[in-house]
Amino acid sequence: MTAESTTIATLDPEAIASKSTGMWQLTLRRLIRRRSAMAGLAILSILVLIAVFAPALSPYDPTISMLDADPPQKIKARTAPCIHLFGCPADQPQHIAGIDGNIRDQFSRLLFGARLSLMVGFSTVTFAIIIGTILGALAGYFGGWWDNTIMRFMDVLLAFPSLLLAIAIVTVLGPGLINALLAIGIVSIPAYARVMRASVLTVREMEFVAATRALGGNNMQILFLRILPNALTPLIVQGTLGIASAILDAAALSFLGLGAQPPTPEWGSMLGAERNQVFTAPHLVFYPGFMIMLTVLSFNLIGDGLRDALDPRLAHSS
Amino acid sequence: MKRNLFSLLSLLVLASLVLAACGSAEATTAPEMTEAATEAATEAATEAPAEATPAPIPDVSLATFDGSTLSVPAEECNGDYIGLIQSVAAVDASTVVFTLCRPDPAFLSKVAFSPFAIYPSEWLEATAGDTTRTSEGLEAPVGTGPYMVSEWARGESVTFVANPDYWGEQPAASTLVMRWSSESAARLLELQSGTVDGIDNLGPEDFAVVEADSSLQVVNRPALNTFYIGMTNTFAPFDNQQVRQAIAMGIDRQRIVDTFYPAGSEVASHFTPCAIPNACVGDAWYDFDVDAAKAKLAEAGFPDGFATKLYYRDVVRGYLPQVSNVAQDIQAQLKANLNIDAEIVVMESGAFIEASSAGSLDGMYLLGWGADYPHITNFLDYHFGASNPQFGVQSPTYTDLLIQGAQIADPAEAESIYVEANNAIKEYVPMIPVAHGGSGTAYRADVTNPQASPLTNEQFAFSAPGDRDTFVWMQNAEPISMFCADESDGESLRACDQVMENLYGYEVNGTATEPILAESCDPNEDLTVWTCTLRQGVKFHDGSDFDATDVVATFNMGLNIESPTHVGNSNIWSYYDYLWGLMKKPGS
Repeated sequence: MTAESTTIATLDPEAIASKSTGMWQLTLRRLIRRRSAMAGLAILSILVLIAVFAPALSPYDPTISMLDADPPQKIKARTAPCIHLFGCPADQPQHIAGIDGNIRDQFSRLLFGARLSLMVGFSTVTFAIIIGTILGALAGYFGGWWDNTIMRFMDVLLAFPSLLLAIAIVTVLGPGLINALLAIGIVSIPAYARVMRASVLTVREMEFVAATRALGGNNMQILFLRILPNALTPLIVQGTLGIASAILDAAALSFLGLGAQPPTPEWGSMLGAERNQVFTAPHLVFYPGFMIMLTVLSFNLIGDGLRDALDPRLAHSS
Repeated sequence: MKRNLFSLLSLLVLASLVLAACGSAEATTAPEMTEAATEAATEAATEAPAEATPAPIPDVSLATFDGSTLSVPAEECNGDYIGLIQSVAAVDASTVVFTLCRPDPAFLSKVAFSPFAIYPSEWLEATAGDTTRTSEGLEAPVGTGPYMVSEWARGESVTFVANPDYWGEQPAASTLVMRWSSESAARLLELQSGTVDGIDNLGPEDFAVVEADSSLQVVNRPALNTFYIGMTNTFAPFDNQQVRQAIAMGIDRQRIVDTFYPAGSEVASHFTPCAIPNACVGDAWYDFDVDAAKAKLAEAGFPDGFATKLYYRDVVRGYLPQVSNVAQDIQAQLKANLNIDAEIVVMESGAFIEASSAGSLDGMYLLGWGADYPHITNFLDYHFGASNPQFGVQSPTYTDLLIQGAQIADPAEAESIYVEANNAIKEYVPMIPVAHGGSGTAYRADVTNPQASPLTNEQFAFSAPGDRDTFVWMQNAEPISMFCADESDGESLRACDQVMENLYGYEVNGTATEPILAESCDPNEDLTVWTCTLRQGVKFHDGSDFDATDVVATFNMGLNIESPTHVGNSNIWSYYDYLWGLMKKPGS
């Protein structure tokens, strides 16, 4: 028994590695051929760079009032953008995206906002994928009682509009960024659980699974070493698209005042705070909205490209 | 077997859903109750816990009412009865006599306040229900005013038509429509497109836009309100007077007013706005001085600052036009000037009012007060009376002075008392007065006699919308109900003001009182007996005649807790309770 299982274990990584590198290389090649996906990837790279180097790129502390800056600037709240290159007098301090309602530099806030939004997107989706995958895999693999309990619970979660459920969760936990992340993570679990369950249901009937079982592999080995890697592709597509909707949900929660708390720079809360100034100070509404749009667009483009690249039925046509 | 298990499970899920739904419903109704009752209502709630929670001992009614006289036994005035009114009596058809337990120099200002409008006695009895008034009572009250409610399309608008039998001058516009939107940008858009004639609470950034537009006009509303930063001194470190003083010195209030308030606003030199007699006697508030503030904080034992919370509700009021911006600026100033880390906590409006007025917020909080009636007692006595727990423990140095001051009618005579009281408040720092916020209304340019009342009770009968015969007004929110004897929300009171009239009223765009349904109300020597002579020939909307019994019946409805007519919308009766005191005493 011990001898058998060690043989399986030694064989496994090689087999998977050789198989997966081939698949991933192929996918990457197909992805590069898709212009829209590359555009998305380019935007995302820029955003990631902005997020990583935000402290170096931003001219001011995003939470400091210009009245407290060093040296202090006598400037009015909600002043329009002043860019020296475009004819703004050189004796005025430069503020590329203008000044917000609290006399803070909007450009610095936008840069730091990228950090938060990307962090929100990745962390909530990672959380949801981990939990969702485990639940979906258990439901799909064991079936019966497991399947009924888990999937009915997922159905209950799905029955609520996701944003409404997120608001309800935040209301119970109290407003705040971490709670908002948790809420968005929880409401996105069912999607991943369903995708995972469907993949597991297909894969578990395949010959190589039966072969592993015949060789004496236990349930855990079969599930995590055989089935999971082969059911991963739809999850990746779902996850990439999920990041986009997670960022949107987080922005919506912050817009409603339930997400990031002031003075944290968050695009949704920046938008929400200045929504009444849409006519008098449009730059305060336009830029955060544009950043949200750009981020969501980039993830959607990449997700779309990945789906096409990973779909074997489309592989031959392209 | 499997099927059974599954159905059992689904039943469980269903049951938990139902439970969750019921639980949340219970949780949300409670704040709504308090939402209806604004700042002032909360005192009513604390004074009369029997109404809100099932107290073991119910209050005992003291009132007797025989149709023409409402009274409390005279000896109770010196006993457990804390109310002000001893009796209201109809001497003859056109004379009503109010007898008070204590002198009240603000009597006329109080009588003129919207909740104390006069209803016909027959209608009061007809609409009295077991639990709440009929929808007719709540949505179309019968009064004597220039307008009558013709239709209230819930969620949409209220339409008023001119009262053909009005005793005074007919309103300029035969139809008045009230609409609402909580977003200032949306209100301005409606005004610009010409679908409304006037809007309330112009956004601070929008003043310049309206001033630059020749088809529109702005009316600035005088700042008869106060925005303050409250601190509950039962929580550390706010129990230390030096900490409170340090914060008072360490916040640049001028910067807040310059940055976030519209023109017409001013930094608060005292808690009460200076337009009110005796408001600004005594020393002005602490100057902004970072070094002195830091030294004070170090002396108090916090050289490196401390961590606390900053609570507010995200609700725009005249005293606080840009709530979250002001909160964030205070947060930034506390950090920069005193190294105090204040975490911002936004609360739901009703829950916030409840917690702040009960004194259970363990940090600083942003709140304000708009004048109900223009008298110093409406500001100081309400906030700094010994029984108000909103700042923790009040200092007897000023609570005693306020009781003395409230009984003196002549402002000049009371001045020395208010000098001492104001100085004692400054010394003790129960809160930090920040600003008296100016706000503004905007109208189309052809509207004549545009109004922005300091008490926010614009009377649209006096404004003419150019050559149109319909005046459309857009305010912040929908009225809660129009049975204003039991409302305390300003948006509701304004709607009632178009329909209802009091014995006295406030002058248009001002705070002085003038007789309306009374021809005059004259006090005796020591201000404890007020004799009101009533106007003759006034008819209610339902055709009944106005006489002295209607006045007594109205006060009976408001004050007599045993009366079958003492039913309203929320049944809190906040202003009847707060300004007069319901006719009851705690049971024993």
